[in-house]
Amino acid sequence: MLDYLIKRLIQIIPVLLLVSIISFSIIYIAPGDPAMTLCAGPDGQVDPEYVEEFTKKYGLDQPLYVQYFTWLKNVLHGDFGYSYKTQQPVWDIVLSAFHATLKLAIVSLVISLIISIPLGIISAIKQNSLTDTFCMIGATLGVSMPNFWLGCLLMLIFAVSINWLPAAGYGDGGDLEHIILPAITLGVSSAAITARLMRSSMVESLSQDYILTARAKGVSERTITLKHAMKNALIPVVTMIGLNFGFLLNGSPVVETIFCWPGLGELTVRSMEMRDHMVVQGCMIFIALLFIAVNLVVDISYKFLDPRISYENE
Amino acid sequence: MMRDIRFGITVLIISVVLLVSMPCVSAELFGDANGDKQINTLDVTMIERMILTNDKESPLADANQDGSINTEDVTYTGSIILDRVGFPGGHMNIGMIFGPSHTLDPGVKWTGWYMRQAGIAETLFCYNEDLELTPELATGYTQLSDTQWQIHLREDVTFHDGTPFNADAVVYSIERVTDELNSRHNEYKHIESIVAEDEHTVKITTTEPYALTIATLTDPLVSMVSPAAGEAGLLNTTPVCTGPFKYKSHEPSVSLSVVRNENYRDGKAKLESAKIYYLSEGETRSIMLQSGDVDITIGLPLPVVSKIESDSDLRIVTDETLRLYFIFVNNAKAPLDDIRVRQAINYAINREQIVDAALEGIGGVSAIGMFPSVFPWTNDDLTGYPYDKDKALSLLEEAGISDTDNDGILEYNGEDFQLTIKLYTSRATMQPGAEMIEIQLEDIGIDVELQLLESAAIKEDMVSGNFDLAFYSYNSAPVGDPDSFLTKHFDSTAGFMENGWIQYSNDTVNSLLVDAKIAMDQSERKGYYDQVQAIIVEQSPEMFIFHEKQLVGQHVDVIGYVLYPNEITFLTKEMYKG
Repeated sequence: MLDYLIKRLIQIIPVLLLVSIISFSIIYIAPGDPAMTLCAGPDGQVDPEYVEEFTKKYGLDQPLYVQYFTWLKNVLHGDFGYSYKTQQPVWDIVLSAFHATLKLAIVSLVISLIISIPLGIISAIKQNSLTDTFCMIGATLGVSMPNFWLGCLLMLIFAVSINWLPAAGYGDGGDLEHIILPAITLGVSSAAITARLMRSSMVESLSQDYILTARAKGVSERTITLKHAMKNALIPVVTMIGLNFGFLLNGSPVVETIFCWPGLGELTVRSMEMRDHMVVQGCMIFIALLFIAVNLVVDISYKFLDPRISYENE
Repeated sequence: MMRDIRFGITVLIISVVLLVSMPCVSAELFGDANGDKQINTLDVTMIERMILTNDKESPLADANQDGSINTEDVTYTGSIILDRVGFPGGHMNIGMIFGPSHTLDPGVKWTGWYMRQAGIAETLFCYNEDLELTPELATGYTQLSDTQWQIHLREDVTFHDGTPFNADAVVYSIERVTDELNSRHNEYKHIESIVAEDEHTVKITTTEPYALTIATLTDPLVSMVSPAAGEAGLLNTTPVCTGPFKYKSHEPSVSLSVVRNENYRDGKAKLESAKIYYLSEGETRSIMLQSGDVDITIGLPLPVVSKIESDSDLRIVTDETLRLYFIFVNNAKAPLDDIRVRQAINYAINREQIVDAALEGIGGVSAIGMFPSVFPWTNDDLTGYPYDKDKALSLLEEAGISDTDNDGILEYNGEDFQLTIKLYTSRATMQPGAEMIEIQLEDIGIDVELQLLESAAIKEDMVSGNFDLAFYSYNSAPVGDPDSFLTKHFDSTAGFMENGWIQYSNDTVNSLLVDAKIAMDQSERKGYYDQVQAIIVEQSPEMFIFHEKQLVGQHVDVIGYVLYPNEITFLTKEMYKG
């Protein structure tokens, strides 16, 4: 197990290097000069002297590879640079945005699990019945509804028409009241995917021989479903949930922008628009790290769900 | 079955709980006995009548909120009118688009704009709602010579932290902007020195005669800040200024809270507190207005305007702003280097139609020159380019562009006349406006292609001269003065980027703009700028399409809001919730 972990951790290094090179080049290939964008005020006018000063100060006149290696050197010393726009340390900005996204992601995940797991199980038990059809139509709807549309719809219903919840905003550091609508918006689409997978996986495990055995020896249907079938059916579902959670943790630019949620997705898009390269680069590395971490956790959790899976080299 | 019933009951209970916990949205203006949303002597009479005769009592007549209406309420209402006690103006939630990101120091980049909008920061001079230069923390100025300006300060002002506002504070506040470390110090390099002459007078010496000296002091960048707070390094987190509102708290890129400044010089603000939400999405702003999450918001998207107008609880306030939508023209590229071609394109653009169709008739006003009619410096004699298709075609024919092969598309040098318009979409009216122009130019036979890019990418193309036309939006008079826009765009000796993009050079314009900068007499300056405007409009090195109208949505109970066309004054002490 430990060997496996070490091996996985070593694999992270080339992945991060590759991610950083690709994102660094893409940012710089994209047209638009950060100095010119960041030095323009809300008026639109640009002060050429300031642009020159700015370019020199941040070494933006250097060739791409020089800039990259300077950046890499600093990162290896634990310094992710400073935002061109706000002069704050990039890592602080990314972490504070991640804090907002994490809250949203956890609530979304909970909502998505509450919806999807029971829905999947019910559909599987009552396979091909009317309930099953309705559940799966619902799931298809959930997948196909665009986020921004669902978000606006929820706002119109819950904030404007019946006025139960605030339409948007972060509240006092992201309180529950403000989190509900964006979390439902995000949760519904990931719930739909999970529910469909849960159903098919459950159907498959219900048709296994050991279920027949269990039925034959008179185990109650409840125990069969929850203990024997569900636990085995969960393996592919956990992978999916893990991946989904990874996506949720990256922050959804669309949902975060609509609900004015100061999270990672919104930060990434905003800094791309402002050509705040250091922040974009920081976000990319952070997101890559998150994905790697989530995948690792998912792989390890298999072992607990299915003892047959082993990571020992025997 | 049982389970279904249990489920039903649970849902019912949850719904009832949620319904009961619904927030109460209506504001109460205690003291407003007659319900006219104002507190004045009429209310005093009304309360007296309620006590003495049997007039119907209104709960709002209970000015001191002790549960009964008696003579104490008469006294209390009197105190409100005399400003001895705070006006019960309540709390207001405000929707804005952009806000401060990391620092709250008005002297850093454009943070001062947000601090001024929030009612925290003030400047020595400012522009009123008619865009006239008026003293704010100053009482006036005397010009001692071409390069020396004496500014007289108000004597009754203190900063939020109790520090007195005096000449030293002014010197401190301006020197931190002219300091080389300030990223915008180039805009103030005309200031050679600033000294305190006495407690309430400062003298500014400029490096050369510079007529805009006073106007540049209206930029919120030179907001007056407390030297005590500045030296203690507090300004980044606590802007200590002189405005009617004091800073309370800030959540970066989310919101900013302010409370009433109890020591404001002439009458406290009517609102007790306010919270400004920074909402980048137009749809979100409009929904939050409809749901009552914000009481007033700027920047309503055009499609929701009719819906909000039909809502009896809401109201729209609108006026022209200084924001101009215009087209950068590559004057160095044939055939756009021919004045007739530029004029022809100008005649072919039907601005009224753009306003009516693309802006739904309310989002803007068609432009004649670069300045809107609300701006005092506008040359009102100009006629601009009224839509005239025939004139456009004949001008093009003179320039050698006509439909020689009868395919409906004009030919230039034997090839189809093609133009590309580059535009960005972060401003909502940009794309519909450009599409309209595309249709109109294609109507006279020009083959037009729209290229949607990010503004950063367009700037790069303009630097390398790789463009025909670029649709853009700028504020046409940043410090309320015509100089900035005209010099940056049309003075080929000043070396600004905008001029480099359009490659325009005219000696008369250059010398007029220099003369206008050193002429101290305002009407003489106006004469120069009138001439520049006339030449520019005639020669069309840029094409001016429309002036944006700000669309502010507010609940009807928001009283006292006034729209300032320069967009930097928003929350004032006169605003309250009725």
